[in-house]
Amino acid sequence: MVLRLAGRRTELSLLAPVVLLVPLGVVVTHIAQTGLFETGPLAVAIAFAGLVLGAHFVLAWAGHLGDEMLLPAVAGLGAVGIVMLNRLPQDLAGNPAFDLGMVGTQLVWFGVGLAAMVLVAVGVRDDGFLRHYKYSWGLLGAALLVLTFLFGTEINDARLWIVIGPFSVQPSEAIKVMLVIFLAGYLAENRLVLAGASLRIGPLQLPPLPYLAPMLVVFAAVMLVVVVSRDLGTALLFFGVFLTMLFVSTGRRSYVLFGAILFVAGSAVAYLLFPHVAARIDTWLDPWADPNGAGYQTVQAIYAFARGGVFGEGLGQGLPVVNGNLPIPAVETDMIFAAIGEELGMLGAVAVLGLVAVVMTRGFRIAALAGDDFSTMLATGLVAGLVLQSLIIVGGNLKVVPLTGITLPFISYGGSSLLASFVVVGLLLSISHRSIPRPAAGDEDDR
Amino acid sequence: MATGSRSATRASSSESTDDGSAPVTNDILRLLLLALQLGFLGLLFIILLRFARALRADLRQAEALAASTQSGMGRLVVVESPGGEPAVGRALQIGAITTLGRDLNSTIYLEDEFASGDHAVLTFRGRAWYAEDRGSTNGTYVNGHRIQRPVALSYGDELMIGRVRFRLER
Repeated sequence: MVLRLAGRRTELSLLAPVVLLVPLGVVVTHIAQTGLFETGPLAVAIAFAGLVLGAHFVLAWAGHLGDEMLLPAVAGLGAVGIVMLNRLPQDLAGNPAFDLGMVGTQLVWFGVGLAAMVLVAVGVRDDGFLRHYKYSWGLLGAALLVLTFLFGTEINDARLWIVIGPFSVQPSEAIKVMLVIFLAGYLAENRLVLAGASLRIGPLQLPPLPYLAPMLVVFAAVMLVVVVSRDLGTALLFFGVFLTMLFVSTGRRSYVLFGAILFVAGSAVAYLLFPHVAARIDTWLDPWADPNGAGYQTVQAIYAFARGGVFGEGLGQGLPVVNGNLPIPAVETDMIFAAIGEELGMLGAVAVLGLVAVVMTRGFRIAALAGDDFSTMLATGLVAGLVLQSLIIVGGNLKVVPLTGITLPFISYGGSSLLASFVVVGLLLSISHRSIPRPAAGDEDDR
Repeated sequence: MATGSRSATRASSSESTDDGSAPVTNDILRLLLLALQLGFLGLLFIILLRFARALRADLRQAEALAASTQSGMGRLVVVESPGGEPAVGRALQIGAITTLGRDLNSTIYLEDEFASGDHAVLTFRGRAWYAEDRGSTNGTYVNGHRIQRPVALSYGDELMIGRVRFRLER
């Protein structure tokens, strides 16, 4: 048993420097905030290292053969997140059930997420329960969406939370995964039909209607509810994931073109129909029209990036408090990239994007090497979800795209987001484990 | 207080000392702070560099592996084989035209009395595999359905010939 811990060497060697990030970050923060060099805050670093290395050793002990760069990459993102959350005032967020402050609560969710990841990575030996029940998963996702819409609590003008006792859950994170499972099953089954276009509208080639229709109906329903519940970022994310999966499964550029046209047309209609959509887009185009009202968040984020410059103000030395408030609203969740830009500078922000790029590379590699179409589509959809979500919110922080309320995976504060993201990593690990050809008995002549 | 700490290092040159957070007064601590901060950024890029190296090594390994195996069109993994030939668990690389049957001249020879001599043929046309029954006695099954004409296969589909079951993988 001790010997088996020697597996996954690449993973361990990549995790070693990642684990060192947190102690360095919390010590810098502590010196900057109190002027003292003390070892007290290192508890956060020890907890983080214990959780991440624990997950690694369980995987190694279980003899898991899956990808070895995914966990270090998301742990790197998580480390930056923990350092930033440790730096912010601890009363910004937190769960009364834990009484651990913001970073403590986040660490608890980190542990829960990592446990779920290991459980999924090791436990899912056969994806039949995903593949065969694709319509059930799709329906479950849609039902959750409707439930949230009917019984959800409205926070910040968007109805996307369900409050259960001391916990508030964000179901859209789980719905994202369920939608990907449904689309993967449907596309894997009908890939060849969808790829061989027969319906023509002008220069566009579309798949035969009986195959396209169910997908579009389910998709339109999801989009409708998401748009009505005002969760614009999630709507954009779902649509992006859908188009990515459709393109990967069929290899037809015309579908992407068609989707882009649909998206532009849909956005224009939404701009005219929904005042909250119009407000978001107006704010994006000119935040300085109302710098103390609607444009406040965006303007403050731009100032934060400007203050940060190339090297950053330094951990614990940026984000000047004005009238007892931090400069950027929602800095612990949606706007955490602006805080990274201010305190770690362009270099820190680029490093974060680099880690996202590593996640993307590994995810698409897992998709390409998967043995069957369903696994390929599932991996593609899951990784597209993670990466697009990162890009949408980073773009929103930078005023490249309209700002929408979604989290930066593995970095932002929030249990639902962390748990869902780690389950996604677990599924990717499980797919890559299963795609490795295993030697069987009487197999000598087979390479 | 703020102006006092401005001159020393870039690290403490922010205006954060005005807003209530404690100032760093000790020069040595301030230097340590700057060094640790640059260390943090440096470590981030060391991590990225190590990822780049690991990715490159992985790519080389994949290239070597792709060169040593061939075609890349797909393989048949034996799921069930009561006769023992081919053995369960084997992954058979398949070429663009692959015949299956009890005839010894078949590309894939099946030791199964429920299989016909010239039982079925797999062909790779354009971008997909097709399975075709060659007039066998007991039929060819794809995902449990007996096929009447050539059908397109997806990766992950199950093919049954006689009592031998295969799964088509990439």
